[in-house]
Amino acid sequence: MSQTRTIMIECLRYDPEQDQAPHYRTYEVPFTDEMSVLEGLQYIKDHLDGSLTFRWSCRMAICGSCGCMVNHQPILSCQSFLRDYYPARIRVEPLEHFPIVKDLVIDQSDFLGKLESVTPYLVPAQPLTPEDGPNLQTPRQIEDYLGYAQCINCLLCYAACPQYGLNNAFTGPAALALLARYNADSRDAGQKTRMEVVNAEEGVWGCTLVGLCSEVCPKHVDPARAINRNKINSTQDYFLRFLAPFGRGS
Amino acid sequence: MTPAPKTYVRPMNRWWMRHPAYRRYLLREGTSVMVAAYALFLLAGMVCLVLGETAFNLWRGFLQSPVSVIFHLAALAAFAFHAWTWFKVMPLTTPPLRFRGRPVPDRMIFRAALWAWGIASLVLLVLAMRFL
Repeated sequence: MSQTRTIMIECLRYDPEQDQAPHYRTYEVPFTDEMSVLEGLQYIKDHLDGSLTFRWSCRMAICGSCGCMVNHQPILSCQSFLRDYYPARIRVEPLEHFPIVKDLVIDQSDFLGKLESVTPYLVPAQPLTPEDGPNLQTPRQIEDYLGYAQCINCLLCYAACPQYGLNNAFTGPAALALLARYNADSRDAGQKTRMEVVNAEEGVWGCTLVGLCSEVCPKHVDPARAINRNKINSTQDYFLRFLAPFGRGS
Repeated sequence: MTPAPKTYVRPMNRWWMRHPAYRRYLLREGTSVMVAAYALFLLAGMVCLVLGETAFNLWRGFLQSPVSVIFHLAALAAFAFHAWTWFKVMPLTTPPLRFRGRPVPDRMIFRAALWAWGIASLVLLVLAMRFL
């Protein structure tokens, strides 16, 4: 059993029924070496203040529910340990750039709309039935999209992206990475439908390559790469339109 | 339908203070102002050349002044930083590259760009010393 120490956790609090603006409350939390930030928050809820509200589910960086800001860095609270911050106090806030519903809970509906807009599913060239058998891929074809397919929709990348914060019309990192994921899949023929999202001002061109989205991604999806590679496709699409005015995009 | 809950949106003022990566990004983009300033300075030289010998000699005379030397040193530093940071992000902007069936690692692309930069600068320096 490791030794118990005490860390100060400063938490953003916002109750829409009481507060005009958020404020901070500090809690003294006893912790052991193996305790995550999420377990620190759970200690507060169980022992110090039952009204503290936050999302969590799997506790093992799979579900993507427990994203929050710790000292202005977007993290999964289940994956970050209190021992790494001690003896400094930590400041826990909801994910940046999203409307706060209550305490650490944010409203994700803007992202969910954007996710829907990128057609995040396979669009086969011809309708297939189970009788057509499995849709086989080579390991190389899987490699083309597997990295992008690791996204768990935790929204850390949106909290890291100042362009999304300044103008939330921007489609944003995770949605554009998932767009790249389906475009790169050999079983998919939906590139043309997605090109409209890519080419839009708020599509890939809304990205100025700050690059923090890729650094904070807990699943190493690398949205910055996905977006900037699609800038090449968007440029090609733009110029090919002049070469074949009656073909593409007409 | 239930009414949308009252939410709070935090302002974005002084957003660059929130993370060192934002300040590095602004510095990278900020150096492009110096790149533009240097392009304008060269353009002014071209205009002087068109205007005639007196104007061009005036421009060349200004090149020797301390202000111009400081400007050129600052421009060199800004260009070097700008190029370095762009080479760093270059692997993110290139299409997927493969060599003998394997993806080319990011550091290879960065190093290739550095070599190309070094060789191009050297060739330019040799040509300048040979003909000027």
